[in-house]
Amino acid sequence: MSKVLCSVATRGRYFTTLPLVLNAIINQTKPVDKLVIFDDNDEPKDMRTEMIYSYFFKMMDIKGIAWEWLYAGKKGQHHIHQMANSMGYEWVWRVDDDAIPEPNVLENLYKHIDPSVGAVGGSILTPPYIPSTIASTGFIDKIDSEPNIQWGIIEKPRYIEHLHCSFLYRAGIHDFNLGLSRVAHREETLFTYGLYQKFYYILAVPDAITWHMKNPEGGIRSETKEEMYHHDEQIFRNVLSFRDKNIVVLNCGLGDHIVFSKILPSIKNPVVFSCYPEVVPGKSIAEAQHLFGDIDQWNIYKKMDQWKWTDSLENAYRKLYL
Amino acid sequence: MIIISPYAKKLICGKENPKNYAYWKELIALIDEPIIQVGVEGEEQLVDDFRKNLPISELRKLLKECRIWIGCDSFFQHLAWDEGKQGIALWSVSDPLIFGHAENINLLGSRDNLVKNQFLWWENVEHKSEFFVSPEMVLERLY
Repeated sequence: MSKVLCSVATRGRYFTTLPLVLNAIINQTKPVDKLVIFDDNDEPKDMRTEMIYSYFFKMMDIKGIAWEWLYAGKKGQHHIHQMANSMGYEWVWRVDDDAIPEPNVLENLYKHIDPSVGAVGGSILTPPYIPSTIASTGFIDKIDSEPNIQWGIIEKPRYIEHLHCSFLYRAGIHDFNLGLSRVAHREETLFTYGLYQKFYYILAVPDAITWHMKNPEGGIRSETKEEMYHHDEQIFRNVLSFRDKNIVVLNCGLGDHIVFSKILPSIKNPVVFSCYPEVVPGKSIAEAQHLFGDIDQWNIYKKMDQWKWTDSLENAYRKLYL
Repeated sequence: MIIISPYAKKLICGKENPKNYAYWKELIALIDEPIIQVGVEGEEQLVDDFRKNLPISELRKLLKECRIWIGCDSFFQHLAWDEGKQGIALWSVSDPLIFGHAENINLLGSRDNLVKNQFLWWENVEHKSEFFVSPEMVLERLY
């Protein structure tokens, strides 16, 4: 059975919604294998000294749930989620610090995983307004014209292209875009759509309701600078505008370009950004950085390190691009 | 004619790249055949015919003309592989199973010397002469 890490990023909600969220996680009908709380508060506390939290920690010990409280770097929740994504678990259930899952959520998300699935999400309901999303497709090109399928009751499993807020995902396949600003606007949409682009199914499933309180105080996105949202939205739009292409970013050495050139003919619809256009013709790396924010997801050395790679460089390129 | 490509890219820290073969002078002294050295400005000249900063197209032409090449783990071994010209690649701390090509003769001192993480910078890795094979072992594979 695949192990599930649960990650919660929190900021400014020690004594409002976070205790409700932790209680809901502890009482899941399918227990998580480990819970990591990423504390992104400006002035983090040692929560072991708070009675309610000491009870949470005790309950987790009693139930055999491993847990860890990590102090995060205040760079935005995308950095936190990327840490969770690379902690070595096959699946990560990400839960917002104001999103309270019903006790059966993880069990019902988990039921749907198989080798072809990249992420599974349920309803994320924000009372009192719960729209009907029966007509929503969940396709990325409808993102501006339909309510998100997760905002309403999901009556049957649906194949979609992106998820938001809280969901269970296959870890270590796609990176969170670390080029986004601290508000990390659209981070989960970009992430799940990235899994979809890697040919994994993205599912919206019934009987997995999370109550999203949208606590107006605190929160990992408690940043109001409009330019940050604008910056992130632009990256999102750029990614969408290239969605029918295979983006190749060769931010690496000359020899690596030569090795890559062997697999280029096998890549369909490539758009190449290259350091050595005389070897592999392409646009500049600076342009890639400007368009997509973070280009580390195409860093072949980072990927080989992440994959604990022992095969050839050429095959690493195959894994990344084919 | 033999091409030698003795040096990997210079490190930012100024220390010797740990992938640079340690015994070029001794090896060259054992070779009784014309040698052309290729590389970039600033590298030590080891033979009379040192061709610096050649464009890739010129390097490809030279590769076509040579009998064999000898080099370290640098871009040149990839270029020669792309050109379909077999050669001898001399290894120390980087892994030929990852960065090498099976079509070449890959001479590695010992797999015990490979650095644990192959995918970080080489800046913090010490150059150690003893990690390379001897010139005599290279010569055995050259003829």
